[in-house]
Amino acid sequence: MIELTDIEKIYVRGSEKVHALRGINLRISKGEFASIVGPSGSGKTTMLHILGCLDKPTKGIMKIDDIEVENMLESDLVKIRRQKIGFVFQQFYLIPGLSVFENVTLPLLFGRRKRDESEIMSLLELVGLKNRAHHNPNQLSGGEMQRVAIARALVNDPEIILADEPTGNLDTENSEKIFELLKSLHFRRITLIMVTHNPDLAARADRIIRLKDGTIQ
Amino acid sequence: MPFLRLAFKNILRHRIRSFLTLVGIATSVAVLFSIISFNRGFEKGLTKELERTGIHFMVVPSGCPHEVASLVLHGAVIPKFLDVTAMEKIREIKEIELISPILVFQLPNPEKRRVDLIYGMEMSHITKLKPLWTVNGEIPATDDSVIIGSEIAGHDNIKVGDTIYYSKEKKSFKVAGILKKTGSQDDAFIYMPIKAAQEVLKKTDGVTAIGVKVANPEAINAVTEDLSMKIPGIQIVTMGQVMSSLSSLASSAKVLSLSIAAIAILISAVGVMNSILMAIFERTQEIGMMRSIGASRFDIFRIVIKETTLLTASGGVVGIILSTIGSGIIEGFVRKFMPYVPSGKMIDFEPWLAGLCIAFSLFIGILSGIYPAWKAAKINPIEAIKG
Repeated sequence: MIELTDIEKIYVRGSEKVHALRGINLRISKGEFASIVGPSGSGKTTMLHILGCLDKPTKGIMKIDDIEVENMLESDLVKIRRQKIGFVFQQFYLIPGLSVFENVTLPLLFGRRKRDESEIMSLLELVGLKNRAHHNPNQLSGGEMQRVAIARALVNDPEIILADEPTGNLDTENSEKIFELLKSLHFRRITLIMVTHNPDLAARADRIIRLKDGTIQ
Repeated sequence: MPFLRLAFKNILRHRIRSFLTLVGIATSVAVLFSIISFNRGFEKGLTKELERTGIHFMVVPSGCPHEVASLVLHGAVIPKFLDVTAMEKIREIKEIELISPILVFQLPNPEKRRVDLIYGMEMSHITKLKPLWTVNGEIPATDDSVIIGSEIAGHDNIKVGDTIYYSKEKKSFKVAGILKKTGSQDDAFIYMPIKAAQEVLKKTDGVTAIGVKVANPEAINAVTEDLSMKIPGIQIVTMGQVMSSLSSLASSAKVLSLSIAAIAILISAVGVMNSILMAIFERTQEIGMMRSIGASRFDIFRIVIKETTLLTASGGVVGIILSTIGSGIIEGFVRKFMPYVPSGKMIDFEPWLAGLCIAFSLFIGILSGIYPAWKAAKINPIEAIKG
């Protein structure tokens, strides 16, 4: 369902050329839970940008559901992101001032979609925050904030969830809970790709993708 | 949840910054609204005042037309007097219905250590010459009583029935009436029956100007031509000339005041731009997040434009409210700038003008939002995920 063929990414930083990805070949099938690990500078972030349709590869072919996306215009990539991908970030990025409920519905605003209140509430129930729907993000703990972010990532019914160090800002106990929550999405046939520094959590994914110097080991 | 609510919440995130920006917009819109209202009130008040004046033209010694204009409406001290024969010559013309002599001069008042401004006039013509006046007390029936302006009454705490004494001239006058505050130069004069004024000045038949009403207004031109031929050294000023002369005097003040408003608006628009631009820079990662979860460039652009228009439009509304509440203060302030201001209230709340000002502030909001919105729309979604 996600297919990367000979993906290369070269950045120009000043006068220097940075070869972030060098010939990545990868297939991730539907419903799979893959973790991406590697030291800093190994190309994890770049890989996530490309998988999330946030950036285009310099070379190579990338297919999502057999659709080639590497040459799409930004306006079409936005649509792919809206329809197929949900993001979970290390810093949560909840909007202060908006309630938990409103934060979860944010992607619907951009996707011009409507969902019943009951559907949103059942999403909040899924992440264990039903009674927090009308709280402000600043009243929540870090673990709770990440749960809101996960509910937000799910609101558009994505096929893929991309999680960038989702437990990076959490303590061990909360990390465990968030990991379990993400893992449970499996049962909804959602493809889960998680970048992490935590080797224990990475090892518990279906599959570990180890990156080093822009190549898969 | 609509875009507008998101924009609103974004503004509330920087309460103090947004409040200060809003104060800037509110002030400049208040200034604009007041100035336009004032200018409109000025035109209307002037027309009204001149229409109600029962005279068609003034005969004055030849001189500066601006001096004449202010004399006609509120009295000014012109150090020239009309020839004594002028009155007689005007009387000879039969088309004339009313002749009203006016004598304006300065009279030292050593007791009070100041110089009083005396306006001598035919007291029986008062309703024709000063139709908008309200006098508390009575209109002087005898030559030893006067009306005083509210400014003098307030300053010296003079009441109806009190006496004013001029030691050098050995003359005392009973205060028959006090003129209710007009807000114009009228408030600073002492109005004396013309005979008494001529006696005090020791110039029997001396007049500064003569107001004339013609029986048939169509004959005005013929009469004025006739008069200028007969009497040398005079100038005839019609009410129309007074009007245009005052308008041209006021227009420079208008241009000045409108440019001040324009500059104030420009500065506050730059303030809005700056404030929102700062907020955009601070929210770079968050905007990257919104882009990655499905916001298009145009979505981001819209949110930012809505933020600036919300700020300026609410600033506009606040400004209109402020200037309506404080119209009295603003009026007093603007009166100091304007060379001549008709009496009565100048700033009138006009809903359409208020609407126009708010629409204008909306427009300013869009204009000042374009650059920050464009900047925000350019933010790359990868900002959300930085390794």
